[in-house]
Amino acid sequence: MKRRTFVRTVGAGGIVGLAGCVGGGGGDGDSGSTADTATEADGDATGTTTGTPGSEPPELVVSTYGAFVDAPSTSPGPWLKETFESEFDATVTFATPDSEINYYIERALQGVDIESDVYVGLNVDMLIRIDERLDDGLFTAVDDIGGRGDVKEGLNFDPEGRIVPYDTSYVSIVYNETMSEDGDFVAPETFEELLEPEFEGDLLTQNPTGSATGKSFLLHTVDAKGPDGYLDYWEDLQANDVRVLSDWSTSYNAFLEEEAPMVVSYSTDQVYANREGQDLAKHQIRFLNDEGYAYPEGMSIFEGTDRPELAREFLEFMLRPDVQGEIAQRNVAFPATTTAELPGDFAEYAQAPPEAVTFTYDELRDNVSEWTQAWERQFASK
Amino acid sequence: MWSRLAGVRASARSFGRRIEARALALAAVATSLILLVVFYYPVATVFADAVFVDGRPTVEPIVSVLTSRFYLVDIFGFTAYQALLSTIASVLLGLPGAWVLARFEFPGRETLRSLTILPFVMPSIMVAIGFVATFGRTGTLNAVLRAIGLPPVELLFTIEAIVIAHAFYNAPLVARVTTAAWESVDASAVETARSLGASPTRAFRDVVLPQLLPAVAIGATLTFVFTFASFPIVLALGGFQLATVEVFIYSRIQNLAYAEAAALAVVETAISIGLTYWYLRYEGRNRGSGQGARPQPRRSLWPEAWTPSALGVRIGIGAYGVVVLAVFVGPIASMVLASLTGPEGGLTLEHYLFLLERQQTGASYQVRPLPAITNSLRFGIGTLLVAVPMGVAVAVLTTREFPGRAAVDALAMAPLAVSGIVVGLGLLRGLVFGVEAFGTRVQVTGALAVVAAHAVGAYPFVTRNVAPLLGNLDPRLVESARSLGATRVRALVDVELPLVAAGVVAGAAFAFAISIGEFDSTVVLAEGSTSYTMPVAVERYLGRRLGPATAMGCVLLAVTSLSFVIIERFGGRYGGRGGF
Repeated sequence: MKRRTFVRTVGAGGIVGLAGCVGGGGGDGDSGSTADTATEADGDATGTTTGTPGSEPPELVVSTYGAFVDAPSTSPGPWLKETFESEFDATVTFATPDSEINYYIERALQGVDIESDVYVGLNVDMLIRIDERLDDGLFTAVDDIGGRGDVKEGLNFDPEGRIVPYDTSYVSIVYNETMSEDGDFVAPETFEELLEPEFEGDLLTQNPTGSATGKSFLLHTVDAKGPDGYLDYWEDLQANDVRVLSDWSTSYNAFLEEEAPMVVSYSTDQVYANREGQDLAKHQIRFLNDEGYAYPEGMSIFEGTDRPELAREFLEFMLRPDVQGEIAQRNVAFPATTTAELPGDFAEYAQAPPEAVTFTYDELRDNVSEWTQAWERQFASK
Repeated sequence: MWSRLAGVRASARSFGRRIEARALALAAVATSLILLVVFYYPVATVFADAVFVDGRPTVEPIVSVLTSRFYLVDIFGFTAYQALLSTIASVLLGLPGAWVLARFEFPGRETLRSLTILPFVMPSIMVAIGFVATFGRTGTLNAVLRAIGLPPVELLFTIEAIVIAHAFYNAPLVARVTTAAWESVDASAVETARSLGASPTRAFRDVVLPQLLPAVAIGATLTFVFTFASFPIVLALGGFQLATVEVFIYSRIQNLAYAEAAALAVVETAISIGLTYWYLRYEGRNRGSGQGARPQPRRSLWPEAWTPSALGVRIGIGAYGVVVLAVFVGPIASMVLASLTGPEGGLTLEHYLFLLERQQTGASYQVRPLPAITNSLRFGIGTLLVAVPMGVAVAVLTTREFPGRAAVDALAMAPLAVSGIVVGLGLLRGLVFGVEAFGTRVQVTGALAVVAAHAVGAYPFVTRNVAPLLGNLDPRLVESARSLGATRVRALVDVELPLVAAGVVAGAAFAFAISIGEFDSTVVLAEGSTSYTMPVAVERYLGRRLGPATAMGCVLLAVTSLSFVIIERFGGRYGGRGGF
C-alpha cells in the first residue's frame, strides 16, 4: 500500500521535473559551443571533442539529401568523405535535414545561424524558392573556382553564378516490354501518341510537388505543349487514366509489381537493372519526342561559412575528372563536366536523350508556381 | 524508540498525503506546461501566418480559402466525403472484431487482442507496398479470384483503395476502444436484467449497448479526424485526382507559401475540433452508473452444441475472418514476403544481411538498424510513462461537470486535429530554432523533446479510452472512498482505475503505438542528430529495390508486436489485481 503511494507520487513529481526541463530547454543543444550539435552537426561528434585547438583537422560541414550518403544501393557520400579526408587536412561531417534546403531557408528566415559550410544537391526549384523568400541569396558566388570551365554549358541553371552543377539526370519513360497480351509492349514515341486508347491507364507518374521526376515530367509537357496548351494536354491524359502517385518510390514499386507498363523515371535505369541482374526487357527507356528533361544537381557554399577556403577546395575536388567519374557511377547519373573519367561500358546502360530539354531559371522563376498550381487545381478537381 | 519510529512513519504518511492531495493539480499543471511548450506555442507560430501578413493582422488568407469554390467544394468536400466513407468502413470492420474479442474465448485471444494495434504503427510506405502486392492487378486477391473462377478486380488508384487502407489503419482503433468498453460492462447488471425477464437481445440493447455506444462514437470520431488529415496514403493508393486538403497543405509548405498553408490548416483544424467538440458534448450527456470490473463470461468459439443459431454465429465469424485475412493479414504478409524476396523472385535473406552489414559497417552519419530500434523503444517507453498520467489526469478533470467542460476537453484533444506537417514546421521554428532570451538562444531538442512531442500526440488516446469508462462509473464509489478518508488520487488509483483498467491498458498501448509510428515531429526534433527511429530507418532504406526497406519494416513489426504483448500482459495484471 505504502509503496504504491510512494511510486505514484514520485511518478507525478517526475513529470513535473520533465516539464521543467522541457520548458527551460535545460541546456539541451544549448551548449553555446561552435557547433550546434543538436541540430546541425552529425550529433555523433565522433569523439573529437577533446584535444587542443589546431591539433585537429578543421571540420567541413556538408549538407545534402539523405540518399546522397545513405542509399541502400550505393551513394557517393562515403567515398567522397574518405577520399577528401585522405588528401586534405579536414574532417567532412554530413548533415541531412529531412526538409533539405527548406530547413536552411527557414533558418535564414527566422534569423538563426547556419552552421553548415557547403550544400550538395541543389536544383533550380530550390534556387527559385531561395530567391523568392530571402533577400540575400543564402549562397556565395563560386564562378571562379578551379574546374568551373569544364562544366557543360547547358547544365548551368543559376544566372548569378552561385551554383555549380556536379551531375545531371534525364527524366524519361521507363517501360516493361513484356507487359501486353502478346508479350511485346511498345511505348509510345510522342506525347501525342501517349493519348491513344491503347495506352489507357498505362502510365505512372508522380506528384510534381513531392518529387523531382514528377516535376520534371510536368515541365516537359509544358515545354512540349506550351504554357497555353499543357493543361488541355493533361485533361486528355487524365481522361486516358494517367496515374499521378505520391512519390517516385511508390510509383516505381507499382511499376515493378506490373501494375502498369510505364513509369516516369530516370534514363539511367538500366545501370541498376544490369547491376542487379534484372531482365532488361522490363527496363526499356523511351524518350518522348526524342527528348529527355534534364535534371542537373548543383552545389554551393553558404554565405556564412567560416571556412571559405576549405569549402572552395571541396567544390574544386568535386569537379576533378576522377571524382566526377566516381560521382556519376555511385549516384547513377551523368557527370556535369566534359572531362569526367568514366569506364567504357558506362554509356552502354546509361542512356542520354538525343535532345535535352530544360527551362531557364528566368522562365521558371516567373511561372513555375503558377504552372504547378494551375495543374494541381485542374487535376484534383476530378 | 518505537514511538519515535511511529512518529516518523506518521509524518512521512502525512507528507505523502499532502503530495497526494496535490497530485492531480500537479499533473494538470504539468500537462498544461507540456502542451504549451511542445504544442500550442509551436503551432501558433505557423497559424500566425494565416492572420498576420508582413506583421499586419489580416483575414485575407482565411477568407480566400473560405470563398474559393475549389478549396471549399472540391477539396474540403472530397476530404470530408472520403473521411466519412473511411469512418463507416472502419466501424463496420472494427465492431465484429470487438465482439469476437470481448465475447468469445479461444486460445491466443489475448495475444491477438494485443496485435490488433499493429496496423496502427505501419509506416504508410509499407502499407502502400502491402496493398499493391495484395490488391494490385497481379496481386494476391486477383490470383485467388482467378483460381476460383471469378473475374479480377481493379482496386488500386480508386477511392475504394483509399477507404480500405484507412480502414486498415483505423478499424483496429474502433475495435480496441470498443473491446475495452465491452470488457468493462458489469455482468451483474446484465444478470439483473435477465432475472427480471429480459431476453438476451433486450438485455444487450438496454444494458450493454448504452455502455458501448460512447466507445463506438469515439472510435468513429477519432477515425474521421485522422482520415480527414490523411496524407501519404491518399496519393500512394489513390492518386492526385483524389487529393485531400493535407496534400495541399504539404504542397504549400514545400513551396514556402505559408499564408495559404496556414489558412488551409486553420480551416482543417476548425472542422476537426468542431466535430470533436460536438462528440464530447454527446459523451458528457451519457453518464452511466455502472460498477464496472466484472466482465461477462466469454463463450467458447467452439460451441458445445451445434444448434442452428450457434452455427449461424460461427459462419458469420468465419466470413469475418476471411475479410480480416484479406484486409489485414494480406498486406502485412505481402510485406514480410517482399522482405524475403530477391530481385528475380527467389527467396533470400540478403535484405536482412544488408541490415546486419549496415549495422556493422555503417558510418556515423548513416542510419543503422540497432540504434533505430533502441531509440524507438526508448521514446516509446518514455511516451507511455508521460502520456498515461497526462491522459488519465485530463480524463478525470473533464469527467467532472463544469461550465465549458466540452470546450476544454476539445482543446485538450487538439493535438489530434492539427496537421502533422504543420506541427512539424511549428516544432522546427519554436523548439529547434528556439527563442532568443537574455542573449542566449534557448532551444529544445533531443530525446526529451521527442518524448514530450510524442506524449502530446498520444495522451488524447489515453484520455479517450479512459474518459467514457470513468463516466460510466457510479460516482458514489468515489464518494464513499472519499468519506472514508481517501484523497482524490487515492480513490482514483485504488478504486476507479482498476475498474477501468481495460481502458487504461488500451490507452497505454495506443500511446506506445503512436510514439513508434510517429514521423513528422521525430525527424524535425532529431534532425541531424543520431536519435532516428525505426520509421525513419524504413524511409532511409527505400531505394530502387524495396528489400532493405521492407526488411526494416518487418523488424519494426516484430519489435512492436513483442512490446504490445508485454504491455498488455503487464497491464492485465494491474487490472486483475486491482492495483500493482
